[in-house]
Amino acid sequence: MVQNLTTDVLVIGAGPAGSMTAKWAAKRGAKVLMIEKRQEIGSPVRCGEGMSKDWLKEVEIKPGRWINLEVEGARIYSPCENVFEINERHAGNEVGYVVERDEFDKQLAIDAANAGVDVLLKTAAVSLLKEGNRVVGVKAKAFGEPFEIRAAVTVGADGFESQVGRWAGIPTNIAMRDMDTCLQYRMTNVDSDVRYCDFYLGKVAPGGYVWVFPKGEGLANVGIGVQVSQVTSPADARTYLDRWIDKHPGYAKGKKIDMVGGGVSISAPLKQTVVDGFMVVGDAARMIDPLTGGGIANGCIAGKICGTVAAEAVHSGDVSKEFLQKYEKGWRARLEEKLYRNWLAKEKLVTLSDETFDKVIDALAGVQLQKLSVHNILKAVRDKYPEVTKEFEAFL
Amino acid sequence: MPSKKSLHIESSGQLCIYCGACVGICPLNCIYLDETRITFDERVCTRCEICVKACPVGAIEID
Repeated sequence: MVQNLTTDVLVIGAGPAGSMTAKWAAKRGAKVLMIEKRQEIGSPVRCGEGMSKDWLKEVEIKPGRWINLEVEGARIYSPCENVFEINERHAGNEVGYVVERDEFDKQLAIDAANAGVDVLLKTAAVSLLKEGNRVVGVKAKAFGEPFEIRAAVTVGADGFESQVGRWAGIPTNIAMRDMDTCLQYRMTNVDSDVRYCDFYLGKVAPGGYVWVFPKGEGLANVGIGVQVSQVTSPADARTYLDRWIDKHPGYAKGKKIDMVGGGVSISAPLKQTVVDGFMVVGDAARMIDPLTGGGIANGCIAGKICGTVAAEAVHSGDVSKEFLQKYEKGWRARLEEKLYRNWLAKEKLVTLSDETFDKVIDALAGVQLQKLSVHNILKAVRDKYPEVTKEFEAFL
Repeated sequence: MPSKKSLHIESSGQLCIYCGACVGICPLNCIYLDETRITFDERVCTRCEICVKACPVGAIEID
């Protein structure tokens, strides 16, 4: 029989958002327990492993051996493979790292543990404990044995397939049009360029894109996301990805050594992320950037705010929804504008024809953009293909 | 009672890669991922087939 536990802050899920939440709550003086249903934090990896780097200092993540390589830029390919290069000149410090996600997640968990967080592996939440409407902890299973964890504040950081948000009454459901179904191969012996992360748009990946993130020495993550509402037959993600690889000799000659899949939300931000005694964070809170599909940075940034507010709530003795609004307001102030803007851009992009993608990328490739902004992009397109700009009038 | 179609999740590992895409999109929250086992609640599932589309490898069938 496992003993029941009591803590100030309980974090469910030890991914980046969970570890950051746990670390910051502990740094602010709370007693924190983080539970992880798997036996190994960070594994199996379900990620393309590309991320920007300008936000790392803000949340106090230090560079470490989780950095696989640093790229110089990104290349966007249209369906006929016109290419537009985004480099440090346009994107400033936005261009980033290809990472070893398993190492990254472990480092964040180590940082949390070093800040005083207790961690339990093979421990899954199976339902929420409630007093009235207030969440007061979870019923859990550790190594299959049931027990209870009581907490002043409970945080759901259980990733894309989050259950606890919905148990708490927060509608985190997503529609088919708000999700991409993703598949990725780790491939060896491929001709990827270690200086760039590559993105292929258009009908090669309806409602998403094909990505190539180089891992060095002929290794690369080659993956695809397809909007679920545009899937026409089972396993479309695999079919489209295999077709793309077949058509690219530099990849068709490669060998697959690993395969991962998963769902990525591409929705507008949630309306609500707190209830009495409970907050939801990261992919579980649909904080993934709906344009890029990136979730790590937003999860970590929101995690810092979430952990800080959790500790403040504990110290003040007030864990009500009203107090926890501080988290809700905080993450929205930091992330929501960009999330919403990128959601609007994505909503437009998923409707564009291959011909339009070809023209837009061609127009961008032909000019020296100093800074990548919607205004500059539209101006470049208008100068070369005035008829295409009509499609983007809503953005002007 | 009208008979429901049959939903089959191939989760023995022949097709399923345990990615959780079906779990995340299920509108009724009735699919569960437990390390290397995926189950669903027969009584709650309405056979809406959204999970069939969400599965990147075609491991879910309805007939």
